[in-house]
Amino acid sequence: MTRMKFYCDDYRCIDCNGCVVACKEAHEIPVGVNRRRVITINEGIEGKQKSLSVACMHCSDAPCQKVCPTDCFYIRTDGIVLHDKDKCIGCGYCLYACPFGAPQFGHEGIFGVKGVMDKCTFCAGGPDDTLSETEFEHYGQNRIAEGKIPMCASMCSTKALIAGDASEVDKIYEYRTAKRGGNTSLKPYGWEAYNNGK
Amino acid sequence: MESKTFWECNKAYILTALGLGVVGFVFVGFMMIMDWGYLIQYTMHMMIGDTSGVLTAPASELEQMVNAAFGPAYNSVAPEIIRASNERQEYIWYVFFAEIMIFVFLYVKNGRLTPTITRPDDMVQVLTPFQRTVIWLNIGMILMLVLTGFNITWSLRSDGGDLPRLLREFHELTGLAWIGVWLVFTVIAAKDLKGWRKNTLFRHILPGSFKPSKRVIWFFYAAMGAGLCFSGAMIITLHPSSLTHADVIQFRRVLLYLHFGASVLIMFFILDFVYASAISVKGYLKGLWTGSYPREYLEQVAPDVLEDLKKAGRQ
Repeated sequence: MTRMKFYCDDYRCIDCNGCVVACKEAHEIPVGVNRRRVITINEGIEGKQKSLSVACMHCSDAPCQKVCPTDCFYIRTDGIVLHDKDKCIGCGYCLYACPFGAPQFGHEGIFGVKGVMDKCTFCAGGPDDTLSETEFEHYGQNRIAEGKIPMCASMCSTKALIAGDASEVDKIYEYRTAKRGGNTSLKPYGWEAYNNGK
Repeated sequence: MESKTFWECNKAYILTALGLGVVGFVFVGFMMIMDWGYLIQYTMHMMIGDTSGVLTAPASELEQMVNAAFGPAYNSVAPEIIRASNERQEYIWYVFFAEIMIFVFLYVKNGRLTPTITRPDDMVQVLTPFQRTVIWLNIGMILMLVLTGFNITWSLRSDGGDLPRLLREFHELTGLAWIGVWLVFTVIAAKDLKGWRKNTLFRHILPGSFKPSKRVIWFFYAAMGAGLCFSGAMIITLHPSSLTHADVIQFRRVLLYLHFGASVLIMFFILDFVYASAISVKGYLKGLWTGSYPREYLEQVAPDVLEDLKKAGRQ
């Protein structure tokens, strides 16, 4: 069965933050909330600097879903993890449970009260009517319904960020790793993080 | 003067330590999945100001990237948070049921002390307006915190939505306001410390010396309240952005766990207090409002308070 996954190739990511900007622009995400972020280590050290674009990894056994007290998460048959903002109470438990720091909480109103959770939807919208205005307001674009891949992956200039069927993405990962002379038995960042703590 | 044995003097402390020891042993040994070695080392790191959770330098580039992108040692604390969250939702009723059963057992075994009052007009002023204000604020806020706090657990039944969200926000605001009330009560709780008892200011705040059993309740109120105030305030204020996530998430996980643990313990001892002051003896709620208690009530239920009032010259 098809399972949608992201893969970010740290050998190709150049920390341009294009994916972050594309995501924010496409979904009209407010200031302070980043569904996707780019992390760089060893910045400025020649040969050692590496960057990685991180968002919700749409886990098969999503811990956010396990821990949610209002049961607002659901996993589609294609593996995309979505949530219902009308049910979310903004308690933040998903943030503690998530291995990737995906859940985001904006601050609303003049007192900056913590709002409900927002996260990467794999550009698949949410539980509202597909391609409706309400769905866009709550979750942003539903590009999957339009037959498109997520905005971040579609605009990545170096094709470091890939999104799609896990088996296809895995083939690309193995091809690239083998070409570099790497160990293809090691999985990409995040693909095993939840399972073995690495 | 009647001399008491070590057991008589320290019975409350010993029984509390034994009870918590047994429960703690069962929980830590058979139920929790926390990496205690990591938590102890991490706590020591926190004491020197390092809250990142990275205890040893990363051995590989992979580990370095994981630490920077996702935060370190996910499997050390997070699975325990997930377990505890789920169990709070599913099993919290059993905890309350077990505690009520303990009180039922004690009630059946010891019965209820109902003081005989023949002179209802002979009243003694025990509580000052300031003390009553603090007590009522404490009662109101704790009720609100319990209801809104457990609302997070109960919202599964209400299917989330606006009301539970509002209650969750109210829990945070009330919690911040409670810090001041808890602090005043903590001063009251600490008044029995030898050095502080000599201070007239603390003697004035709350007269009366407590029995060991009541002192245990006060100690737990102060200690667990400190844990709740610290962890709650930090959780509210130390909210990570997407770029600071990896630096603070492990610290927040530990703070949430502290909040969970402290809330369970303080709830136990608050219920214990309710039992001790209103179930095992006939309470006098009116006294909390007026500050005055019948002299005969104090003579039979709280002679130590009456004694202290006499010593303080308020009688």
